[in-house]
Amino acid sequence: MNHHFTLPNSGHNYDAKASKMGMWLFLYTELILFGGLFLVYMVYRSLNQDAFLLASFNLNVWMGTANTIVLLTSSMTVAMAISALQKGDPKKSIFLLWMTILAALVFLVVKYFEWSAKFEHGLFPGMDHFNQLPNGEKLYFNLYFFMTGLHGLHVIVGGIFIVIVVFKIKSGKVNKDRYQLLENSGLYWHLVDLIWIYLFPLFYLIH
Amino acid sequence: MTAIATQQINYLNVKKGIWSWIFTLDHKRIGLLYLYSISTFFLVGVILGVLMRLELFNPGRDIMEAKTYNQVFTLHGVIMIFLFIIPSIPAAFGNFFLPIMLGTDDVSLPRLNLLSWWLYVIGALFALSTLVFGGGPADTGWTFYAPYSVKTGTNVSMSVMAAFVLGFSSILTGLNFIVTIHRLRTPGMTFNKMPLFAWALYATSWIQVLATPIIGITLLMIVVERVFGIGLFDPSMGGDPILYQHLFWIYSHPAVYIMALPAMGVVSEIIPTFSQRTIFGYKPIAYSSMAIAFVGYFVWGHHMFTSGMSGSAAIIFSILTFLVAIPTAIKVFNWLATLYKGSIDIKVPLLFALAFIFNFLIGGLTGLVVGALAVDVHVHDTYFVVGHFHYVMFGGTGFAFFGALHYWFPKIWGKMYNMTRAYVAFGLLFVGFNILYFPMLILGVMGMPRRYYDYLPQFHTLNQISTIGSWILVVGLLLMIYNLIAGYRKGPKAAGNPWHGITLEWQTDSPPPLHNFDKMPELPEGGPYNYPNAKSE
Amino acid sequence: MKNQHSIEESHSEHITSYREHFGTWVGLILLTLMTVFISVFGADLRTITVATALFIASVKALVVAYYFMHLKYDPRIYRVLITIVMSLFTVFLIMVILDYLTR
Repeated sequence: MNHHFTLPNSGHNYDAKASKMGMWLFLYTELILFGGLFLVYMVYRSLNQDAFLLASFNLNVWMGTANTIVLLTSSMTVAMAISALQKGDPKKSIFLLWMTILAALVFLVVKYFEWSAKFEHGLFPGMDHFNQLPNGEKLYFNLYFFMTGLHGLHVIVGGIFIVIVVFKIKSGKVNKDRYQLLENSGLYWHLVDLIWIYLFPLFYLIH
Repeated sequence: MTAIATQQINYLNVKKGIWSWIFTLDHKRIGLLYLYSISTFFLVGVILGVLMRLELFNPGRDIMEAKTYNQVFTLHGVIMIFLFIIPSIPAAFGNFFLPIMLGTDDVSLPRLNLLSWWLYVIGALFALSTLVFGGGPADTGWTFYAPYSVKTGTNVSMSVMAAFVLGFSSILTGLNFIVTIHRLRTPGMTFNKMPLFAWALYATSWIQVLATPIIGITLLMIVVERVFGIGLFDPSMGGDPILYQHLFWIYSHPAVYIMALPAMGVVSEIIPTFSQRTIFGYKPIAYSSMAIAFVGYFVWGHHMFTSGMSGSAAIIFSILTFLVAIPTAIKVFNWLATLYKGSIDIKVPLLFALAFIFNFLIGGLTGLVVGALAVDVHVHDTYFVVGHFHYVMFGGTGFAFFGALHYWFPKIWGKMYNMTRAYVAFGLLFVGFNILYFPMLILGVMGMPRRYYDYLPQFHTLNQISTIGSWILVVGLLLMIYNLIAGYRKGPKAAGNPWHGITLEWQTDSPPPLHNFDKMPELPEGGPYNYPNAKSE
Repeated sequence: MKNQHSIEESHSEHITSYREHFGTWVGLILLTLMTVFISVFGADLRTITVATALFIASVKALVVAYYFMHLKYDPRIYRVLITIVMSLFTVFLIMVILDYLTR
């Protein structure tokens, strides 16, 4: 009765290609999710060109630039971490992943200072200064807080994934032959970078 | 021991206990978990619908206040759409049968599959929690249109979060199916040798993956606006409520095809089996699913003709809407051509499939009526629209769901239901359905607006007919459920292949063994519907 | 339960060198500095700066997707699918803005 017949195309096989494909499909959903916000941005920007321009002067270009460089660097370290593990050097891989997490923390700290500066100036929706702004500038700040906030949330989630992967590499569950989890976390991290690549010019560089 | 030795070990009796179900990774058990939870919510939705029909039996207040009525139709819509129709066929029958029909033993990502059911449960709990917490269920209608959804005191945030979580669950199911179809087809099964149900699920899954995130972010905007005051649709901050409608329908129109395409897949399975004949036009049916999915992305504006959208945009959306009718008609003609000169065996599943074609035809053609710009101005937000989409969703997808239930019942549980009772139940359902919804089409043309608990005296008779239809429908529904439960408990044992189907699920035992196949499944020669005893012309 | 035999064939072969990653990073940083420079010092060319900023952003996004996200070395279907997804999204943008431009 208990014969062990297994189909060659079993869903229980370790299938790195399947999980990679699943990850890419998930990234599509993330792209479209942020896409909805970019759509809203496009409409309101086209209706309030001058107000968006004026409001954007409240952001600090150099902080934005610094954060862009931080994220790009973290993208490089996570990509290198994959190469390191593929070459059979888990120690180096773990080191590069910690560098990525460090970059994530730096990004969040800079973001924290930017946001608290806005709060101090009363630019958060509902605060005094905000309420006196013309409508277009209100929309700009609404979008700014929503989009960078959601992006920040993704930075945190991506960072958590990378920490998990670090521990899985340490325990040997993610290794030279089975590294799809690392690759998927890397893909997710690149997506976070990708979104920021568009957020940066749309909010900071419309001078 | 002897009892087990004489009966096959299958997925149902291999393990016992609640934990072996709610933490299972077996796609068949997850399919059944979905089936049971979906059916439960369907019944809740039916009760709410019947209550609305009772309220509308006479003009004026009968059994509930205006506000209660608003909450009831919102809850009815949210439950029926997000908890029943969207997951109905794909999550229940798709989960159960897609891997078997592809000749494999599970979906590609089994743990993700379980997660998606759990998300469904969490979303359902969110939706139900509005009954108890904070201001009561939303009274906005299932569309949550801004700015009212931002201002109303009812618990919109929780309803919206429910839809958000359910959308996530739907995305994960679709994602899993796409990967499964790409990675796990049995050797020799190319895309063009897949069963049409798999094709329909493939098209559906792409809509789930690519359209659902839009509603996710849109609903998140509503929550953020309500909780943090970050107003993106608030006109007092320069926001545009029509933009909300754009975003909402960018998802929610394709969502109509999430509901309809799997149903068409079921019909494409039932019809060749019960005519014992090769499907007419395999490729047109398969590719028209993809075409519907594709064109369906670009027609959302037809929900907004009277919203203040620009005339030029409305014309484009109207033209594109008419294009969707083409692939749909291709399917209908191919189904009818399959029946022609087939060895037709009129069993209950086939009757449901034929009822699908009949109802969907009415639903589809009335869809063209509302898709036409000038006419839509007249019938927009009337009972015509309510009648139209219930013909598509209930008369179409709902009947296909019942058809799938009767078609695959012997395979899922290895038992057979009483055929005579099933015929009677089908008759009651079909007659009750049409008495319930056809008057709505007439009422709409007469000008009765939707979403009111009251109406003018001249609409009285037709509303009463409609309510009486709902009673007949409920009797049919109860009889069907009784018949199926009785079949499950005491029905005779079903053969492995009671309908003489040749897709792969009929090659394994009923119920299927734990890993679906005890030997390599064999693909039928010359395509998935090449019936050996069919007369070649 | 897990079947071990398919591991060898299941991962893609290509390993990107550290040098290539570093080169990609240098390119991205240069593009970033360029876009900031154009924006800060070319403030009088308003519409042009917005267009260039978005163009440079898209180039950067392509570089990240192609090299860091490994699309260059992946099977063709990944490049096809992402193109379809982005085109679909672009059509959404066009159809919505069409409404606003023709009101």
